[in-house]
Amino acid sequence: MTTPSLASLHGNRACAAGAIAAGCRFFAGYPITPSSEIAEQMSRELPRAEGVFIQMEDEISSLAAVIGASLGGVKAMTATSGPGFSLMQENLGYAAMTEVPCVIINVMRGGPSTGMPTRPSQSDIMQTRWGTHGDHPVIVVAPASVQEIYDETIRAFNLAEEFRTPVIVLYDEVIAHLLESVVLPQRDTVPTLTRKWASGEETTFLPYAVTEDGVPVMARPGDGHRVHVTGLTHTPDGFPTQRPDLAAKATQRLLDKIEFNRDRIERNETFDLEDADVVIVAIGIVARAARRAVQELRSAGLRVGLFRPVTLWPFPEEALREAAARAKCLLVPEMNAGQLALEVERIVGPDRVARLNRIDGEPIAPGDIVRRIREIAA
Amino acid sequence: MTVHAHRAEIRLAGSGGQGLITGMHILFRALAIEGKRAAQSQSYEPTSRGGFCYSDLIVSDDSGDYPLATGLGMVAALSQIGLDRSLALIKPGALLIVDERLVPEPPRSGFDLHVLPMAARAVEVGSPRIANVVALGALAHLGRLVPREVLEQAVRLETPPKFADLNLAAVREGWGLVGARVGV
Repeated sequence: MTTPSLASLHGNRACAAGAIAAGCRFFAGYPITPSSEIAEQMSRELPRAEGVFIQMEDEISSLAAVIGASLGGVKAMTATSGPGFSLMQENLGYAAMTEVPCVIINVMRGGPSTGMPTRPSQSDIMQTRWGTHGDHPVIVVAPASVQEIYDETIRAFNLAEEFRTPVIVLYDEVIAHLLESVVLPQRDTVPTLTRKWASGEETTFLPYAVTEDGVPVMARPGDGHRVHVTGLTHTPDGFPTQRPDLAAKATQRLLDKIEFNRDRIERNETFDLEDADVVIVAIGIVARAARRAVQELRSAGLRVGLFRPVTLWPFPEEALREAAARAKCLLVPEMNAGQLALEVERIVGPDRVARLNRIDGEPIAPGDIVRRIREIAA
Repeated sequence: MTVHAHRAEIRLAGSGGQGLITGMHILFRALAIEGKRAAQSQSYEPTSRGGFCYSDLIVSDDSGDYPLATGLGMVAALSQIGLDRSLALIKPGALLIVDERLVPEPPRSGFDLHVLPMAARAVEVGSPRIANVVALGALAHLGRLVPREVLEQAVRLETPPKFADLNLAAVREGWGLVGARVGV
């Protein structure tokens, strides 16, 4: 049977269901509002799927355990919110440097610090990109519906495996706690990817070899190929180096494996963009509000459209440039003091970019966007 | 070009612990049986033992539509605070069902107001805790949301089998309630 089934699903539970469908068999985490249902669901599902669930003592150890499990060959994930995501930064960099596939869910709540645990926010947009130190690759996907949480969680696992890098699934509390109609494929029809495992000659194997797509093959522990895992800058053989030419090459390859594969990573959605004078750029629940605002403004005769990055990092630059080419103005509504706007301004220049920000713990409503665009248009 | 999606915004308003979320899950299921898409959300605060609480259902044929309330067209209120805190979001002329005892001060005008003894009937049927399902029966009937049989089917699917008879009785009680109609 390949008939998809129509169901209603809760955002965080859709994330857990997507993870299981993608082949995730290890979860380590420290439950935190508003992401807790993911851990709760995984604690039920994983034992049934012959996987392992561990509640750790904190978020530092949670991601450490996930990295360990993934090195052992299992698809692994954790889920958290802002305060926990802050603690994970050290190991996030370690996973990027050691090229360990893993998935981190960050359900955003109001910050900084413990902030507003039950209120929605989008204030981790820049932290997901730049939170850990050093020049590092990262992939971030930003779903805007329960259906997309399911689909993008599956894609996150596939991207993590394909590019041997941590992938962050970033969404807000509103989407996390929605119960929404979804269409779920039969589990055996979900396309899943697994990392390239080392095969062939063991003695000449290089754990960080330079390959055509920039992604080295991984040694499966116990198979005979040499395993060398280190956070120090390393040459293809895994040994540390501070020789300038080798160090530059090592870091550059890490960045290039994402940069050169943008076409396989980037994803965006557009709505009523063809003749738009005003282009709204938004993610998550705010993009849903924007879609309604577009419809309202269109029926009042204003030409407004929406550009929604589904892959948030790397940001779909070319697609935005194209979308913005004939627009008189771009509006970036977001539930923070201005983060996504920085990237939009960088890409299309600051002159045409207007902002709309809410930092009060309330979602941006369609009416907020309608009013702001009327202001701009006036 | 965009076509406005058919959209209905429905709320159960009251206080924490009244089963408002369960109520909307039942209605969600009933609409799903009818092939309709929806999104359900609720207040997300530590209010499980009192305080303002709501549960919303946005029915829309556009799956990417805004899933939160912007102008409620149908509301059933089971406490005064539930009504008071929802008023700003209720559209003029909306269907408004309030409990006779729990909402002592309903608005005098502006809505299609129905004052019904939902909590009292719940007690008569067997438990004060099923006022949510009585309210749902009334809401589904007055709002012409789903046929009664479909709502009953959804109740069987969404509530514990142990309480099926009680909940089904509550649906019928609510469905049959046509109280003193005042206002508009």
